[in-house]
Amino acid sequence: MPADQTAHSPVAGVTSRWISAVSDVPAIWKILSLAILFAAWEIGGRTNFNWAFPTFLETMAALWEMIADGSMGAAYLRTLEPLVIGLVISLVIGVSAGVAMGLRKDAEWLTLPIFITMQAAPMAALIPLITFVYGIGLTSKVLAVVMLSMPVIAINSYKAVRNVPQSLVHMCHSFMGSRRQQILTVILPAASPMMFAGIRLGIAEGFSGVVLAELLITPTGIGDLITFNRSIAKFPHMYAAIFSIVALAVITVSLLHRLEVTLFRPEKRGA
Amino acid sequence: MKIERRGMMRLAGAAMAATMAISGTMAVAQDEPLKVALGDIASVESLNLLIAMERAGERGVPMEMTFFNSEDVAVQAVLSGEAHIGVGAPYAFIQNSEAPIRMFYRMSTLLFFPVVNSEVYSDWADLDGQEITVHSRGSGTEALMRLMEQVHDIEYANISYVPGSEVRAGAMLQGTINASIVDAANFRLLQEQGGGKFMRLPLDGVNATDEALYANQNVLTERSEDMQVFVEELLRTWNDIAENPAIVGELREQYNLLPDLPADLVAEAVPYYTEADENGIYPLDGGAPQDARDDIAFLSAAGQVSGNPDEVDPADYWDFSVLEAAKAAN
Repeated sequence: MPADQTAHSPVAGVTSRWISAVSDVPAIWKILSLAILFAAWEIGGRTNFNWAFPTFLETMAALWEMIADGSMGAAYLRTLEPLVIGLVISLVIGVSAGVAMGLRKDAEWLTLPIFITMQAAPMAALIPLITFVYGIGLTSKVLAVVMLSMPVIAINSYKAVRNVPQSLVHMCHSFMGSRRQQILTVILPAASPMMFAGIRLGIAEGFSGVVLAELLITPTGIGDLITFNRSIAKFPHMYAAIFSIVALAVITVSLLHRLEVTLFRPEKRGA
Repeated sequence: MKIERRGMMRLAGAAMAATMAISGTMAVAQDEPLKVALGDIASVESLNLLIAMERAGERGVPMEMTFFNSEDVAVQAVLSGEAHIGVGAPYAFIQNSEAPIRMFYRMSTLLFFPVVNSEVYSDWADLDGQEITVHSRGSGTEALMRLMEQVHDIEYANISYVPGSEVRAGAMLQGTINASIVDAANFRLLQEQGGGKFMRLPLDGVNATDEALYANQNVLTERSEDMQVFVEELLRTWNDIAENPAIVGELREQYNLLPDLPADLVAEAVPYYTEADENGIYPLDGGAPQDARDDIAFLSAAGQVSGNPDEVDPADYWDFSVLEAAKAAN
């Protein structure tokens, strides 16, 4: 493989290019664009085009009320439990399975179709099936998170290992490196940027999984705040709960992206 | 670029055609069937409503039923005009959104049975500091249990949520929960299979609407004649069933209602209406202003709506004009 390939090929996907473009924009523009969005929301709410659509200020007041009375904090403590457990399981199994598939043909044959099916299947339709087997407790919710986040993590780890430049592997071979050295000092470090990108996407999927589980299995945590406030028609509170989980997911994923740039993309630092 | 522009033109054309189609349907809105939005799937419990709809159809008011995932979605359908009539008791929605929908017919009252394992508890006072299980947050079962907490001056340690009366009854039979609230069918199941172990706690003086019919105010005024026919048939059907519950079975066959219902559920239909009649689930008067006040009292005790029931104006939630006209015509 030509040595200058990396310099010409697009190193990042569309999302990361977009995110890095956004992070180059001065803070004032980001604030302005958020301000425009929230102003449009406020105006939309005031026009009463839908009886169930609150204004931005009402929603923020409800958000503050729920933070102040502790219900938001309590809800997040419950939501984070299946999310964190599910993500830890997905990370451990997903990365190991991905690496194994990348390194060994037999592992690839055995496991890859499962992950491809899991990634393609509409999970919202499968979640009720989980409850038939595992009931309505924590296990089912953890599984919902795992089912959404693990395929992305595993498939990205697999591709990362597969796409390690062969020249590096050959170089290791010509220095008489053992298979163990080849994996630990060449393949894994070379694969880690793409693996980390997969983990970031997996965590984003995990947020979807936990909210789906809390809406479809039994309402707990943030899902309970959404369904309960919907059932008693407290729409500002319902929107505040939705807003908070969206904001949390966006902030988490952006921070992970920043960490990814710092750790693995020296060419972008300080750009 | 050219292709894009052509695509845009095509889109604009489609949009115009759609607009024309919509305005076309608006013009014939008067002949449009009255659409009833049910936030559930139809079952034996909806047979009386389905019969009344068929009877209204026979009198020249065609009606259709649409099914939605939940009552909240049904309310949205009624508000947006996709459905004319909704099924439910949207007090909290009306209070919090001030949307122009009003209830016009009271179909059923809330009937649930608080049940305890008599080996563990024997009355309401025993539940002080104990865990109970209800359907979901904001549900009628929770409201009833919260109201009893106030009436008997007790405080539950914890309320857990297990959706489905049959699930809670199963859990009581297994012994995983000892205090819950179930519907009539599952209370009967507990009595049959529990060997006298399960005991019903008294639930006195509760008068609450389980399901009412509601509509947008402009539908109530603009299609008042059609609505009146429908309400007349509702009153007639409810009274007919109270006189002789067996007609539910006959009319189900005559109108071919719920043809896919499994045989064992079909067999339950007449006993269900007989028992419902004994328990007074289906009121025969279609509702009254005092019922609205009782509902507010019940729901505010449960924390679902706010306000003093004595000061509440039933006209904020109900429109009795169609019901009164129907009663006068009958």
